[in-house]
Amino acid sequence: MALMTAAVLGASALAGCGGGSDGTTAAADPGKGGSAEGGIREYTAFFAVPGSEINDDNEVQQIIAEKTGAKVKETWLTGQTAAEAIGTMIAGGEYPDFIDGSDGTAQLYEAGALIALDDYLDDYPNIKEFYTDAEWDSLRQDDGHIYWIPQFGNIWEKDMSAEHNDEAFWIQTRVLKWAGYPEIKTLDQYFDLIESYNEANPTMEDGTANIPYTILCEDWRYFCLENAPQFLDGYPNDGSVIVDPDTLTVIDYNTTPTAKLYFGKLNEEFQKGIVDPESFTQTYDEYIAKLSTGRVLGMVDQYWDFTSARDSIIAQGLDTQGCSYVPLPITISEDVKNQWHTGGGSGTLNISNGIGISVSCQDVEGALQFLNDLLDPEIRVLRSWGVEGVDYEVGDDGLFYRTQEMRDKVVDTAYKASHLCTYSYFPTYTGMSADGINAASPAEQPKEFLDSLKADVRECLEAYGCSTYVDMLGNNEVPGPWYPMYSHSNNMTTATPGGTAWTKMGEIKHEYLPKIVMAPDFDAAWEEYMQVYSECKPEDFLSEMQAELDRRMQVAEESAKTEASE
Amino acid sequence: MKAPKAKPSGQDRKITWKEIKRQKVLLFWSAVFVLYGFIFCYLPLGGWLMAFQNYKPKDGIFHSAFVGLDKFEQLFSDMTFLRVIRNTLAMGVINLVSTFVMAIVFAILLNEVRSRIGKKSVQTISYLPHFLSWIIVTGILHDALSSSGIINELLLKFGILDQPLNFFAHPRYFWWIVAFANVWKETGWNAIIYLAAITAIDPSLYEAASIDGAGRWAKIRNITLPGIKPTIMILLLMNVGNVLNAGFEVQYLLGNGLVKSVSETIDIYVLKWGISQGDYALGTAAGIFKSVVSIVLILVANQLAKRAGEERLF
Repeated sequence: MALMTAAVLGASALAGCGGGSDGTTAAADPGKGGSAEGGIREYTAFFAVPGSEINDDNEVQQIIAEKTGAKVKETWLTGQTAAEAIGTMIAGGEYPDFIDGSDGTAQLYEAGALIALDDYLDDYPNIKEFYTDAEWDSLRQDDGHIYWIPQFGNIWEKDMSAEHNDEAFWIQTRVLKWAGYPEIKTLDQYFDLIESYNEANPTMEDGTANIPYTILCEDWRYFCLENAPQFLDGYPNDGSVIVDPDTLTVIDYNTTPTAKLYFGKLNEEFQKGIVDPESFTQTYDEYIAKLSTGRVLGMVDQYWDFTSARDSIIAQGLDTQGCSYVPLPITISEDVKNQWHTGGGSGTLNISNGIGISVSCQDVEGALQFLNDLLDPEIRVLRSWGVEGVDYEVGDDGLFYRTQEMRDKVVDTAYKASHLCTYSYFPTYTGMSADGINAASPAEQPKEFLDSLKADVRECLEAYGCSTYVDMLGNNEVPGPWYPMYSHSNNMTTATPGGTAWTKMGEIKHEYLPKIVMAPDFDAAWEEYMQVYSECKPEDFLSEMQAELDRRMQVAEESAKTEASE
Repeated sequence: MKAPKAKPSGQDRKITWKEIKRQKVLLFWSAVFVLYGFIFCYLPLGGWLMAFQNYKPKDGIFHSAFVGLDKFEQLFSDMTFLRVIRNTLAMGVINLVSTFVMAIVFAILLNEVRSRIGKKSVQTISYLPHFLSWIIVTGILHDALSSSGIINELLLKFGILDQPLNFFAHPRYFWWIVAFANVWKETGWNAIIYLAAITAIDPSLYEAASIDGAGRWAKIRNITLPGIKPTIMILLLMNVGNVLNAGFEVQYLLGNGLVKSVSETIDIYVLKWGISQGDYALGTAAGIFKSVVSIVLILVANQLAKRAGEERLF
């Protein structure tokens, strides 16, 4: 049975590739211009992250196809973890043309599923200039080759980010408004505010009961529960460890006094009924559905992780009730300065994964040509702004703007699927457009950002004297050349003792963190957790992370030296 | 103890060319099935080699280094795996007993229904859940058992609970939720085979019993149950071999961090280590262990049936 399925799959894959390469020979050979003279080359792509598929007859995708001579059918993760999806592909030995393995990237590399890109780079100027030589070098794997191109963290000219596209303690504007926009800086203040608001206003306008605080805890998304202690101590998102910038040593944030305070606080709030009792059993879909009703007053999450809930709140007009979320600069005590927003957030090069081209791809040159064309200034505008006259207008001063009608359309899921095509997991710039006038995307265009703000958010930002979400938290420089450490831990495998410890720590935390939050006797539960946690040998993990930190510092020193001598 | 000894007389007959010629069509078709079995059931066993290697997909089976029984050692020194075996066995046995008993009881009860229309409609309705996929069943369960779900609402209304109980947050309920899901989904379907067996019982036996003054209960005990006993035995034997297939989807879809310690089965373990962590060797080793235990279980059960003089598989 399995063999038969494999054979069928193989046959269809061959047929698909055949079709693709036929088109290619016509289009790609003459001058690599990628013009649409000989039919359109079609590629497939899989991104091991959740995403929304767009329609096959998507309008902007068609325009891009006509201009570049190629289009890509994108598929995303559904219902599995990244590692499972990638593991299944490796077991089957068939891959799409483009692939981003996310957390499964190391496996793809080890399975020999990716094509080395470094020999090709010089032929594709847009790709080549996407990173500096030093950055390209940092992408080399232990065999000296480059296999993937991180898509994000590349800022054109200057950082324009107005949104905080990262993790934070979020709160609905109605809570802040009710309290008269107080300064909320610590974990205790945050929960005190939520508690007193919920006591005074236990329901929404239509009588639905509020859920004061919920925690998403499903699978890899349990960062919403797990990694707040690093931020509470005033460190940026190194993700798996804290790096002390003075001594350059790694610190385990799972065992710090702050971690105990944080989970103790959650435990206290759970006993009071402030923390949603379904927190630890809800699925991601249930969580998003819950947020979409506007009932949830606050939570920790990454901004990008609840995009669909935000759209849905706006679509239902719940923003008029003050259900939009804003981030708060929460730390464990007032004297700790927060670093929730770092280096423009998007300005961080995450070397652990990126888009690669698989060994199943029959037409590597064509695929790279498409990557190159997507970075073309004109195509970049198409991807992030859409079509002129339909999705945006150009003012006399050359500034792009949108009408209210256009803004309403772009949060509509159906319209997104049928019209917009951002190729979001292909390399992309943030910051400015190539024209030097406009920002790379509407969310970064200062005037457009302000004009598209919902009234409740605008009022809130004004009350705090802020003009963007980022101002709510304050911006921070990237702490050092090692940042972010998660790009190393993401790619650890059980082949090393550190990787094994990392896997086990994850398992234990998945099981025990919910337990200690729910436990009637917190201290006893914490003792037990610390006991089992130490049995995972976290020291193995930490020493490998320390070695990587030292290595990164050394690489940085060396390249600083060569630059100085040049 | 009355083990049947007499062999069918046909087995002593010599196989002649004439015989072969006469049955050439049958032989041809059986060869096809043997080939099918070989290609799809035995060839893939070659993959078992992976369990004895430090398997790397890049190198393939032919170039990976052999490590002997290292992977098995790693497997059995892993506390998680021992816990996973316990979970699989526990859920397997609970599922086996509950679905098995329920199906027989249901078939007998259904057989006692006089109204033909009532019987047919109940039968049809009861086996429909079999055709639902697990993702739908777990979705329904998740909704029904959530804090604001129908079960909690009923329990609150009847005053059995004073605040909603989050069923999925407590490890002690998990196995029973899985068993309930299995019973709900499969009882109707499993009962079909028993109903068929009951239909095959000679009606004159029931008539004779009625004349002798037997009531319904006596007829069930003395005619229906003995009548379907061979079917029960065969199905029981086959299901014993399936105990370790305690399930994958239900546990995978219903599980969460809090109940991990009781929800993970061998299949989930194989997925997690073999596919997600890319340790194909360890995953294969766990799979081999499961197969071997299943074979042993079937052999033991078959032997017990033989001793008891009951119907058996081989």
